[in-house]
Amino acid sequence: MVYQTSLNLEKILGQILDFEKLKYCFECGICTASCPVADLLPEHYNPRTLLHSLSLGDAETLKSAELWLCAWCYRCYNRCPQSLCLPEIFQALRKFAVENDYLEGFYKALKIIRENIPFPASSCYVCFHPERAIDNKQLVTEAIQKDIIDYEAENTKEVTSVKVNPAKVAIIGSGPAGLSAAQDLAKKGYSVTVFEASSSSGGMLKKGIPEYRLPKKIVDFEIKCLNDLGVKIKTNVVIGKSLKVEKLFQDYNALFVATGASKERILGIKGEELTGVFHALDFLEKANMKEIEVSDKVTIIGGGDVAVDCARTALRLGAKEATIIYRRSKEEMPANPWEIKEAEDEGVKIDFLITPKRIIGENGKVAAIECLKNELSEADETGRRRPVPIQDTEFEIKTDNIIIAIGQFPNTAFLPETVEITEERTVAVDPFTLETTSLGIFAGGDVVVGPGSLMEALAAGKQAGISIDAYLRGASLKPLKIYEKGQGRENGNAKK
Amino acid sequence: METPKSESKSNEDIRVGVYVCHCGKNIAGSVNCEEVAKYASTLPHVVVSKHNLYTCSDPGQETIKKDIIKNGLTRVVVASCTPRLHEPTFRRTCEEAGLNKYLFEMANIREHCSWVHLYEPEKATEKAKDLVRIAVSKAILLEPQEEAVVAVARKALVIGGGVAGIQAALDLADTGYKVYLVEKSPSIGGRMAQLDKTFPTMDCSICILAPKMSDVGKHPNIELLTNSEVTEVSGYIGNFIVKVKKRPRYVTKDCTACADCVDVCPVEVPNEFELGLASRKAIYIPFAQSVPARYLIDEKSCIGLGENTCARCKEVCGPNAINFNDRGEEISFEVGTIIVATGLDVYDPIVLKEYGYLRFPNTITSLEFERLINAGGPTGGQLVRPSDMSIPKTVAFIQCIGSRSEQKGNPYCSNVCCMNTIKDALLIKEHWPDVKIYVFYVDIRSFGKGFEDLFRRAKKEGVIFIRGLPAEISEDRKSHNLYLIGENTLEKKKFKVNVGMVVLSIGLKPRDDSGAVQRLLRLSKTSDGFFMEAHPKLRPVDTPTGGVFLAGCAEAPKDIKDSVTQASAAAARASILMAEGSVTVEAITPFIDSEKCIACGLCASVCPYNAIIVDKKKREAEVVEAACAGCGTCGAECPSGAIEMRHFTDEQLYAQIDAATQENADKKIIAFCCNWCSYAGADFAGVSRIQYPPSVRIIRTMCSGRVATKFVEHAFARGAAAVLVAGCHLNDCHYINANYQTKRRVEKLWKKMERLGLDKSRLQLAWISAAEGQKFASKIKQMQEIIDGVTDEEIKKTVECLSSTKRKTAPITLNDNQKSLEKAIGG
Repeated sequence: MVYQTSLNLEKILGQILDFEKLKYCFECGICTASCPVADLLPEHYNPRTLLHSLSLGDAETLKSAELWLCAWCYRCYNRCPQSLCLPEIFQALRKFAVENDYLEGFYKALKIIRENIPFPASSCYVCFHPERAIDNKQLVTEAIQKDIIDYEAENTKEVTSVKVNPAKVAIIGSGPAGLSAAQDLAKKGYSVTVFEASSSSGGMLKKGIPEYRLPKKIVDFEIKCLNDLGVKIKTNVVIGKSLKVEKLFQDYNALFVATGASKERILGIKGEELTGVFHALDFLEKANMKEIEVSDKVTIIGGGDVAVDCARTALRLGAKEATIIYRRSKEEMPANPWEIKEAEDEGVKIDFLITPKRIIGENGKVAAIECLKNELSEADETGRRRPVPIQDTEFEIKTDNIIIAIGQFPNTAFLPETVEITEERTVAVDPFTLETTSLGIFAGGDVVVGPGSLMEALAAGKQAGISIDAYLRGASLKPLKIYEKGQGRENGNAKK
Repeated sequence: METPKSESKSNEDIRVGVYVCHCGKNIAGSVNCEEVAKYASTLPHVVVSKHNLYTCSDPGQETIKKDIIKNGLTRVVVASCTPRLHEPTFRRTCEEAGLNKYLFEMANIREHCSWVHLYEPEKATEKAKDLVRIAVSKAILLEPQEEAVVAVARKALVIGGGVAGIQAALDLADTGYKVYLVEKSPSIGGRMAQLDKTFPTMDCSICILAPKMSDVGKHPNIELLTNSEVTEVSGYIGNFIVKVKKRPRYVTKDCTACADCVDVCPVEVPNEFELGLASRKAIYIPFAQSVPARYLIDEKSCIGLGENTCARCKEVCGPNAINFNDRGEEISFEVGTIIVATGLDVYDPIVLKEYGYLRFPNTITSLEFERLINAGGPTGGQLVRPSDMSIPKTVAFIQCIGSRSEQKGNPYCSNVCCMNTIKDALLIKEHWPDVKIYVFYVDIRSFGKGFEDLFRRAKKEGVIFIRGLPAEISEDRKSHNLYLIGENTLEKKKFKVNVGMVVLSIGLKPRDDSGAVQRLLRLSKTSDGFFMEAHPKLRPVDTPTGGVFLAGCAEAPKDIKDSVTQASAAAARASILMAEGSVTVEAITPFIDSEKCIACGLCASVCPYNAIIVDKKKREAEVVEAACAGCGTCGAECPSGAIEMRHFTDEQLYAQIDAATQENADKKIIAFCCNWCSYAGADFAGVSRIQYPPSVRIIRTMCSGRVATKFVEHAFARGAAAVLVAGCHLNDCHYINANYQTKRRVEKLWKKMERLGLDKSRLQLAWISAAEGQKFASKIKQMQEIIDGVTDEEIKKTVECLSSTKRKTAPITLNDNQKSLEKAIGG
C-alpha cells in the first residue's frame, strides 16, 4: 500500500483539536471495544483503524463510508488513555470532505446504515448527525428520505406466514432495544409479540427525545415497517398488572425485558410539589405531544443529556431564559459535549457548582429556588470529586418553572424474584449473552445499563436477538417456569 | 601537576583570543563561523581570532594553549556550546597553559543560537556576533581568582534503605567511610523484600536480599537508623549538618524476636507489608527477615501506651525489652556527601472505574500478586482468588495500568511491568501448569539482558499474549468470575473472555512524600515527578547540588539490577569527593569593601545561607566564604555599592548590557537568566531544537537574585525593546529562596514603570525550570509579539526617563542619608 497524500491532509489535521495527541495513539483498542457502532457494524466500522489511517494522512479515508459512521456517543473519548476526542476528529474531517465535495462517503454510509442498523432513519437523526458536517440541511433530509425511508417503504416485506421456528418470544417494552430485538428475531423467523405499557410505542424515541432532534413521523414510519415485518405490538398492557408475568411464561418460550429507565429521581426538597415544577421525562413527553407550556424563566436542575434536552425544549416552547444548574463543574458534566455546545450556542446558560436547597413558592406557584454554592472535595476512592455545599452561601434564583432532570432508573418491581437486581437498581445480566439470572429471561438496554445512548440500545437489541435465537435452538420448546429460589441456573439474593 | 603562576591584574596589556567553534555542523550548519571570527577580530583588545571544527577536542585545546603562550594572551573567549557543558573543560585548558581559569569566558552560540535558529542563518550569524561581542566585553573586565579549598568530611548519609540504599551504604562502608543509613520504616529492605521472585533469573527476592541486609546490620562502618526520618539538612558540599528524628520503637535492643508478645496483644490492624491482605498486631515485626530483627509498637493502634490500660506484652516479655516510656531521639551529625535512595510508590488503580479494582474481589494488583504467590505471604504461596480462596482456572494480566497515559496515570513507561508480568506468568505455570494465562498488552518491552529469553520461555509455556487492552471488566455476581471485553488489535476482532482472576500490572510513581525530601535537599524534579539528575547522559547519578547523589527508583522507574548499578555508581561518585578529602569552592563569592560598607544589614537579611555577619558597631560586614553559595543576591541588594560579586561584577554586567544593546537595541530582548534553571531551560530548548525568534540576547548570572533593578533600568535606558528576567520556580530556587527577592524587585520596577507612564509589559518575569525548554521558547515568541508592537516614541520616552538614573557605583556619601538609614534599621 502506498501512502499518498494527494490532498493536504497535514494542514487540516493541524487545525484539529488533538492533532499532536493524534500521534500518541498506541492502538490499545479500547475505543473499538467500547464502540456500539463497531458492535453493530463489525465489517464496516473500526474507530481505531480509521484513526490510524487518518493519522497516516491517507486521503482515501475522506471518501470512505467509515468516516460517517461515528455515532457521537463519546464512549471512546471517556475511556481513551490519551484522551483522544474521536467524534470531533472525525467531524473535522467530515467537514473537510464536504468542503472538497467528497460526499460519496456519506451516501455509502447511508446504505450501510440502512442495511445493518435497526431504525436507520431515526439513527441518522439522533446518532450519526451527518447534518453537523453538511451545512445543506435540505440535502441531508432529502438523502435520508430517499435512501432510507423510501427504500424501507418499498423493501419491507412480511416474513412468510409459515414460521421457521414455532417458538414464541415475548418482549416487554417497545423502546429501541425491544423493537430492534423484535426486528432481529422476526427476520430470523420467530413469532414476536411486544408488550407496551403506555398507549404509544417507541419508548424514548417518541417520549424522551424532543421533536426537533427526531421528527416523530419518522419513528412512526419505522415502527410501521416493523409491523409489516410481522411484529405485533400490544399497547396499554402493563406487565405485572393487566397481564400477569405467570401468564407470559405459559404462552412464550423466551422473554426479553427492555423496559428502559423511566422512573425519575426526585430531589426530595421542600417545594417540589408546587405548580410549575416538572420532572424531566414527564415534561419532555408532554412537550412532544404539545401539551405543555412554560413561562419566561426556566431553571433546569441536572447535568445529563436529559437536562440539556429539557433546556433546549424549554427555549423552543417560548421561554425567554433557560438556565441549567449543575452541582459539579464542567469537566464532570455527563451530557454529550457536542450537545452542550449546541445548547450554549442556542442561548442556554449553564451555572456550575450549585446545589438546590428548597423551592420557594408564591400562591402555590414556583417563584424562586434557594441554592447553595458547592466546592469539589478531593477525589474519593472511585476517583470522582464529590460536590460539597459550602455553609452560609445561600442565594436565590428567581424562576417561573423548574425542571428536575437529575437521573432516571428502571422500574423492576414487576420482575420475578429469580431475576437478580443490582445495587444500581438495574437488571443483572451476563455481559456477553444478556441472560439474566433466570433461565430464559434476557434483558438489555437502559434497564441494564441505566440511561444510555440509542446506539447502545440498538446494539443490545441485536445481541438479544443472537442470544435468544441460540437459546431457543438449543432448548426444548417448553413454556417458561418461574424457578424457585435455589433452583434454576443461578439464583442469588434478588435485590429490589 | 603544578599550575604555573597566573597573571596579575590591572594596568596589564589586555590581549584577548577568540575561538569560534563549528562543532561539526551543529553550529556551522546555521552560523557562518568564519564571518563571526572575522568580526571578532575587529573588537577592541582582540589580538587572535580563529574558527575551528571542534574546539573541545585535543587539537582544538592545543591551539588555544599554543596561542596563550605564543601570543601572550591574557583573556580567552570560546564561542561554542553552553558553558554548563564545557566551561570546566576550557578552564582546565587555560590553566594548563598558565592562564588563571577565571580569565576565561564563553559565548553560547549553539544551544542559544545555531540550534534554535536553524532556518534563519543570516539572523543566527548576526546574533552569534552579538553574543561574541557580549562575551568579549565581559572577558576584558575579568580578573584572576583563587579558589578556596573546603574540607570534605569522610562520612556519608544514605537516605532510604531499599536495595539501592543498602548497596550504596555497603559500597561506601567497605571503602572505609562511615555511613549513616536512615530508613523511614522499621526495617530496611524496601520493595524488594515484598517481591517473590526476580526477573530474569527467577531468583527468590528476599533470599538474595537478606544477606545484604544482614551485612548492613553488622557492618562496623554503618550506623543503621530505622524508624527514623531526616528532618533537616543544612550546610553545603563536604559539610552537611543533618538532623534525624528517631521515632520511638517502644522496644529495646534486648528484644530477641521470640514473638511471645504477639500472642497476647489484643489489637489487630491491617498489615502494611502484606498490603492489607493480612493483619498484624499492634506490636509487630514488619516481616520475618527484618533488619534490625527487633519488634516495635505501632503507637497509633496500641491501646496501652500512656493509658495504663494494657501491658500484656510487657508482662510476657522475657528479656524485659518493652519500654512504654521511649520518647525516641533527635540526633545531629555531620557528613560530607548524601545519597538519596528513597524509592517509589505504586499506582493505585481504584480511579479506573472500568476495571473494578476493590469492587470486584478477584481483581488484584501485581504487587498484591507478589504477596499471594510468596511462600512467606498471607496464603502461604497459594495464589487464591480472594472471593472463594480457590486457585483460578484462568488468569488475565492487564498491562500499562497507570502508565503511558495522559488520562489515566502517568505518561511515562514504568520500565518493569512487562518483565514482571512475564515472570508472574511463569511462576503460575510452575506451580499450576494447567492454569490458562492471558496477557493483554500494548507492547512487550523485554529489552534487557536475559529478558527476551524469559519472554520466549513464557510463550513456550503456553501463555497467551493478546495485543489489546480490555475496555471494561464486569463481574459474574455468583461466581465472581470476571468478563473482559476488548479488541484484539492484531486480528481486528472484539474479544470476550471469562477469567477467574485479573491482575492489574500497575505502574511505578514517585513517592507521595518525595516533596518533603525535595525541600530538605533543594532538589529539582523532572516533569515525571522523579528527582532530576545533573545530566541525563554524562552525570546520571549526580544532582545539580554538589555532594548529593541519586540511586534507585528515586531517580526514575527501574529494575533491581539497574538500581544496584546506580547505587554503586553513586557510592563511587561520593567516594571521589571523600577520598580527596576536600573540594575547591568556586570563586564567585562576594568581596565587601569596608570603606563603602555602611553596615545597614540589608545584605545579611536577603542571604539565603546566613553567610554574612554584620557588625554594626565596627560598621562592617563579613562573608563566611565556606557557607556562601555565590548567588549574588547580596550584591544586588547593597545600596552603597560596597559589595563586588567576584566574576559577576556590576561593571561586567553593565558591559554585557552595553554590548548587547550596541546596535538595533529597539529590536532586541535582553534576558537575564539564572544558571541553574532558566539558562538551562534555554539550553534544553536548544537541545530539543525548538525554534524561536532570534531577537533575544541572554546574559547569564548564577541566580536571578543577582539581577538588581539598576541593570534592568540600564538595559531600557540603552533602548532595549524589552527585558526578560527569568529564574527558577518559586520554592525551587537553587539558592533556597533568593528568587523571592527577584520577584520583589521586578514588582517594584513594574510600579515605577507605571508611574513613569511606560509600558510595563516590556518587562517580563518568568519562572522557567531546566526541563521547560518549550516554555522558554513560548515566552520568547510571546515577547516577540510585544516588541513588534513597541513604538519608537515609547523607546524614546523610556530612554529619556531612565537615563537620568545614574549608575550607582559610588556610595551614598551624604551623611544625612547615612544617619537616617541607621535610624531606620534601629542602630
